[in-house]
Amino acid sequence: MNPQLEGIDQIAGTYPFDVARSVERIRINRFFWQLAQPAHRELFVRDEPAAWKASGLSDEEIALVRNRDWLGLIRYGVNFFALEKFARVLRLSNLDVYAQMRGESLEEFLKTRRVPEAR
Amino acid sequence: MARIIGGIGTSHVPTIGVAYDKGKQHDPAWAPLFQGYEPVARWLAEKKPDVLVFFYNDHLTSFFFDLYPTFALGASAQFEIADEGAGKRQLPRIKGHPGLAAHLADSLVNEEFDIAVFQERALDHGVNSPLSLLWPHEPDWPGALVPIAINVLQYPLPTAMRCYKLGQAVRRALSSYPEDLKVAIVGTGGLSHQIHGERTGFNNTEWDMRFLDLIERDPLELARMKHADFVRLGGAESVEVIMWLAMRGALSERITKVHGNYYLATSTAMTVALYEEA
Repeated sequence: MNPQLEGIDQIAGTYPFDVARSVERIRINRFFWQLAQPAHRELFVRDEPAAWKASGLSDEEIALVRNRDWLGLIRYGVNFFALEKFARVLRLSNLDVYAQMRGESLEEFLKTRRVPEAR
Repeated sequence: MARIIGGIGTSHVPTIGVAYDKGKQHDPAWAPLFQGYEPVARWLAEKKPDVLVFFYNDHLTSFFFDLYPTFALGASAQFEIADEGAGKRQLPRIKGHPGLAAHLADSLVNEEFDIAVFQERALDHGVNSPLSLLWPHEPDWPGALVPIAINVLQYPLPTAMRCYKLGQAVRRALSSYPEDLKVAIVGTGGLSHQIHGERTGFNNTEWDMRFLDLIERDPLELARMKHADFVRLGGAESVEVIMWLAMRGALSERITKVHGNYYLATSTAMTVALYEEA
């Protein structure tokens, strides 16, 4: 146990990303990371199932990706900043992703914010 | 010697760069953010630092988990602007300072601060988002930048105290550099925000104000905090404010805050603060 993280398991809705998780989930994290590289991005845009296959994703991982299950991907062990590349390729803003992670529409989420126009 | 002329703490939210590129400087929803940077940009234009030493984090752009360094110093003569999935921002490439970077590496490692060294890796929004508001860049940036990347993505992160001590070691290194240079220290990230899990959207302005008070007056109290404390008080991703502690460690014991701006619009408390040595 990392002493710096003592008590973090009591913070609900939070999934610390550590080396153990990183080792377990390196394949799907690499899949998203590579979307920032033009060749991988082009393959993803042209033929998404081929991109899943090229990265060797499991059926469970493919379902999470296909469903754009942002919260499910976080719980599974994807690092948020890998997901950020996915959002860029899908032309979604971070606010879209945040709303979906909270189970809200973008409009619902923005209503909870101080300056909803800052989008 | 390289002389420190001051320090800057700043958020590095990617949206700042996006709003800048879309020309939203006068949009009422964004103007309070951009106006908050103007005094810092003026200070930089007036003081003309030769180099910015920039504590930042890479967001899984130029480094991946196959090798994710705890601390890494950029030593090359230039750095490209990163493509983070939606193409590159239209900014000139960033000039490094190989002479100062090599000296920093020598000094840090000989003090047993075993920092990794990288070259020619692109710099992502961790650097380019705030930099585009701080420095003019047409046709080119007015000075050089030495990036120091800190792991705030994959636990174990360096402790807050270690980041503070890194800043102190950087200060000592600068004081032994043979050439006369004016240097400003920049620490990036924060303030409160959480952008993953069901707790996404968490903010805590009361804590942010306390953080801003402590970073100026009593940084050791912050340096003694655990990562879990930062996560609880400011949200999971706000733990990156340990990079402000690196900046703070490089400054003198007593400092004066000469400007500050805090703007919480949607998800991240976007903040900039400018400090001079007392």
